Amino acid sequence: MSGRERRGHGVEDGAGLLVLVLFAVLPLVVEEWLVSEIAIYFAYALFAGSLAFVWGHCGLLSLGQAVFFGTGAYAMSLVTLGMVPGAEGVVSTWLGFAAAVIVPAVLANLIGRFLFLAGGLHGAFFGIVTLAIAFIVERLAINWDYAGGLNGLMNVPPINTGLNGGGAEVFDAWPLYYTNLAVLAAGVAVLSALMRSRYGLVLRAIRGHEARTRMLGYDTARYKVSAFTIGAAVAGLAGALFVTQFGFVSPPLIGFGLSAEVLIWVAVGGRGRLLAACLGAILVRWAESQFSSLLGEWWLLVLGGVFVVVVMYLPHGLVGEVIVRLERAAGRRTRPS
Amino acid sequence: MADALITVLDASNYVLILMLVALGLAIVFGLMNVINMAHGEFMMLGAYTVLTVERAGGTYWLGLVAAPLVVGAVGLLVEEVVIRRIYHRFLDTILATWGLSLLFKQAIVLLFGPGSFSVTTPMDLSVDILGTPYPAFRLFIMAVAVATVAFTFWLFFRTRFGLAARGVIANRDMASCLGIDTRRLDRLTFAYGAALAGLAGAVMAPMISLDPQMGLGYLVPAFLAILVGGLGSIAGPLAGAAAVGATDNLTATFFSPVWAQLVVFVTAIVVIRVLPRGLVAARRRES
Repeated sequence: MSGRERRGHGVEDGAGLLVLVLFAVLPLVVEEWLVSEIAIYFAYALFAGSLAFVWGHCGLLSLGQAVFFGTGAYAMSLVTLGMVPGAEGVVSTWLGFAAAVIVPAVLANLIGRFLFLAGGLHGAFFGIVTLAIAFIVERLAINWDYAGGLNGLMNVPPINTGLNGGGAEVFDAWPLYYTNLAVLAAGVAVLSALMRSRYGLVLRAIRGHEARTRMLGYDTARYKVSAFTIGAAVAGLAGALFVTQFGFVSPPLIGFGLSAEVLIWVAVGGRGRLLAACLGAILVRWAESQFSSLLGEWWLLVLGGVFVVVVMYLPHGLVGEVIVRLERAAGRRTRPS
Repeated sequence: MADALITVLDASNYVLILMLVALGLAIVFGLMNVINMAHGEFMMLGAYTVLTVERAGGTYWLGLVAAPLVVGAVGLLVEEVVIRRIYHRFLDTILATWGLSLLFKQAIVLLFGPGSFSVTTPMDLSVDILGTPYPAFRLFIMAVAVATVAFTFWLFFRTRFGLAARGVIANRDMASCLGIDTRRLDRLTFAYGAALAGLAGAVMAPMISLDPQMGLGYLVPAFLAILVGGLGSIAGPLAGAAAVGATDNLTATFFSPVWAQLVVFVTAIVVIRVLPRGLVAARRRES
């Protein structure tokens, strides 16, 4: 790794720590309803991080990332509502989290194996197929009567610290906020460690030029399958976190609509930097809560316009552009003259 | 016998509409290498153009003529303002056109409201087919679709424009070196693709309910159709549309509409995976 890259990471790490500290003290200055509102944005931010990993870092444009978010949310709900057939007595939040990570990961692994191994699809073909998969899974969820069909599952319990329920519930705004922030920070830390490892370097090489990477002896298909799986696991975790706070899961969480939304968050925030993507999710959701009452139907028009303009002129995204500029400035300052 | 014929006619109806949508998508993809996620919304705009003409007191036929023109003009504008600035960034065209689809949908919500509308069927006639009455309008739609597909073939295989366009599809840089104005071709192609979608929306309008979300239901099948059929030729997407449309319609008729889409999507994904070059493999040299 070159010295220049290490300095680049320094900027991103510094910015990340700064943002973490700001979010850590934020509840002291804002009202309580906003604290729980922002807590749920953290789940969305982690979801955006999973897409930034899969798409921004590895170049797999997943147009159906919500499939894994939704699967995670459903898995968590079925476990904590005691609806797992044959294990109705199990209502543990911890097992719920495990299921919410494992089920989407297995699903993504199977899809990834099918799509990537032995030749496989790439680029736009992959994107369109994932879009079709999102439709299929949403349709299945709507027709899955056991899981509530179109209505989904209601009264999903909050995080319960007991081994199998019975412990303290994470329900109030402050504990929720810090729990979600901690999970988000841990998730981002793990993903960015992966991105900076040797493994992450190979993924980036695949994004840059897959054929060349294969020529260098890397089994690129397997790398892509594993990256897609990891992304799905993180998306599933985000879905589980979301549903324990939101208390309700329904088919729109698993399909096309949310997949489109997360794509917008990541593109507007910045696909190339994990931090930028996460902040993109938080910023867009926050802006939506601020302006949607003021602008009404115009809000989506504005968001669509911003999205198009960002894609055209700011490929790094709004937040990503700031980070990139800071990195360039840092690079200039420390360059030996 | 008559029942079977009606079933076949209904399936052909859907197939032909899907062909119109897929054809526009495939031409734009083949020539410009742009994946147009707003194609379904172009179709929606065509349908709403008919609605607007009807509300203004015009006839359906006026709307049918206006729709491809209006949507073609929108396509021209989109190409000029957005596409041409990013067409060398392949995956970004997906995102930008996706954003545009959001814009169009929301613009329609603002102009017409989120509810659904219907357009009156212009022909009440029905034709006797082996003793069973069949709506003449559906036959008319099929005639329009067949004529449009035939016209597109004529345009691409019998005119100078088509020759130049096929030259650009085969090798853009070489065509440009030989003095073909690729900018002009891009503009015209994108407008033509949009106009095809607009026409599809207009002919569909009396048979379905119009709402801002209607485009998506056609976009995904049309995409799968062109991937199943194979890119790089005009026959490929048509074959794909036939396969996807017929499977969808027949499954819906004989089993249930709920499962039709699932069966079609899953089958299409498997076909795309097994035959990435499509059912009609393009004899296009890899460059």
